[in-house]
Amino acid sequence: MDVTARTDSGAVIVVAKKEYREIGLDTEGNERLGAWQIKEIIDLTLPPQKRIDERFIVEFPENTNTAEIEVILKYYLSPSYESTVHKLTKKISFGK
Amino acid sequence: MHIPLLARLFLMLLTMLIPAAAVAGVNTLDELEKVYGDKACMTCHEKVHGEWQKSLHSKSVVHVLGGLRNFITFGLTRDWKKPVDKANLMRCMHCHAPLLEHASESLMADIGALIVAAFDGKEGAKKELSRLNVNCIVCHNTAAIVETNLRGQPKPGVYYGPTGKTTPAHGTEKSAAITTSAFCSRCHWLYTPPDGDTLYCNTLYGSYQDAYRSSGGAATCQDCHMKSKGRGHTFPGAYEPEMVREGISMDLHATGAILQPGKGIKTAVIIVGLMNNAGHRIPDG
Ligand code: HEC
Ligand code: HEC
Ligand code: HEC
Ligand code: HEC
Ligand code: HEC
Repeated sequence: MDVTARTDSGAVIVVAKKEYREIGLDTEGNERLGAWQIKEIIDLTLPPQKRIDERFIVEFPENTNTAEIEVILKYYLSPSYESTVHKLTKKISFGK
Repeated sequence: MHIPLLARLFLMLLTMLIPAAAVAGVNTLDELEKVYGDKACMTCHEKVHGEWQKSLHSKSVVHVLGGLRNFITFGLTRDWKKPVDKANLMRCMHCHAPLLEHASESLMADIGALIVAAFDGKEGAKKELSRLNVNCIVCHNTAAIVETNLRGQPKPGVYYGPTGKTTPAHGTEKSAAITTSAFCSRCHWLYTPPDGDTLYCNTLYGSYQDAYRSSGGAATCQDCHMKSKGRGHTFPGAYEPEMVREGISMDLHATGAILQPGKGIKTAVIIVGLMNNAGHRIPDG
């Protein structure tokens, strides 16, 4: 998941990048990709039946009047296959 | 009881031949396909067959060629120094091509060589391997009875289904398991080969039980992957964008605020909500 902010003054700020995945380890703690090597799994995935709220705070340059926040959720299956699941944007503005 | 000589001879031949054949197993892919292939089901179950062909179950060896080849080349040969034989290949094929349990040692050696050749780009080898998969007979016979200790082994030529509706075409029987999630767990869960090692190819059923069912989820694997939206035997999953979108919902809230009186730092407070609507963790593997 990539969260990015673009301001009217032209700044592009990477707010956050977050991964939800499983990390397969062997018994010595090395990351392994082969099915026959993995003996332990660190689970950083999205659990079922649960809502997760990720909160972020980002500061903008002084000359910012409006900004567009964009969140893209991508699904990676292999180095050659990725697809965009959701893309949402929201405009915010400051002061008058 | 008097048994005519010919029949006695025949009986003797039978008792001699059957166990021998069962131990030795099938020697060629042609023979395996002839006896256990999906083609024989196609004529009458055309719609189901067409759906299945679109599913990953019909490509369950060629689709994971890289992984199988690495297991052979790096796992068995380099790291373990173990032969590429039936017992070792079944560590993967128990799920990726269960019908190979009927194969002979010599056919298994051929399969090992085909996997390496296909990985190296030999189209002919890949085509041969595309005949190995999780097909109709695997699910409706080999894997259809979960509690084999209690209910017995599946009978050859009998196809186990959700109703057991009879037909002159072939034997049918109702399977208690096939409409349950436990049926899928044979392959979508941790596997313990006969030597007691453990294989973590994918452990999705664990997440289904421990995270989904335990927090009130009630749907079975079949409800979401087969019955919903007439998905039937296409078994959509991670490669189907529509399925993934159904699995995760996302919302975005953002507010602008000018923080710290006097300093006036322009700030956005962003909240992204993610909800997993599937019956297990996302992603798996
Ligand atoms: C218990 C059954 C089982 C066993 C044993 C098994 N697999 Fe799998 N494997 C699966 C299933 C089911 C999937 C698909 C899971 C998914 O997409 O979530 C899969 C997926 C894969 C993938 C694709 C992974 C991906 O992320 O798309 C590879 C590669 C693979 N297996 C290789 C192997 C190898 C090599 C072995 C033997 C060392 C093996 N598997 C043993 C059931 C098994
Ligand atoms: C991965 C396992 C799997 C494979 C492979 C599979 N089936 Fe099924 N099939 C099922 C399950 C599970 C059901 C029951 C679904 C339910 O009602 O909950 C089913 C139901 C059926 C039914 C009865 C209901 C209907 O949909 O008409 C028929 C007939 C059938 N399968 C034939 C086939 C044929 C023919 C093939 C091969 C082309 C095949 N199946 C491959 C798992 C499988
Ligand atoms: C000559 C036609 C014919 C052939 C060939 C055939 N079937 Fe069937 N099958 C039927 C009919 C008819 C039914 C009855 C149910 C129906 O009307 O769909 C049936 C029902 C089934 C059922 C459902 C049983 C239930 O509990 O609902 C399964 C599973 C099945 N067949 C599997 C297979 C498999 C696997 C093959 C290939 C090895 C195969 N069939 C080949 C005609 C055929
Ligand atoms: C005999 C073993 C076996 C059984 C039984 C089985 N599967 Fe699978 N399934 C596999 C394998 C192997 C793959 C991986 C194919 C690949 O990636 O090449 C797979 C793939 C899948 C996929 C696609 C995964 C993806 O990454 O998109 C879904 C969905 C799926 N299975 C659901 C089910 C459901 C639901 C059941 C029970 C009704 C079931 N399977 C029963 C072996 C099995
Ligand atoms: C409440 C509906 C639901 C239930 C129940 C459910 N699934 Fe899924 N499944 C989904 C959705 C939606 C996806 C697509 C999102 C994703 O890729 O994880 C999916 C994805 C998958 C995948 C591909 C996962 C990956 O990341 O490669 C497999 C394999 C699978 N399911 C098998 C199963 C099995 C086996 C069961 C039963 C133990 C099951 N599912 C129960 C909805 C469900």
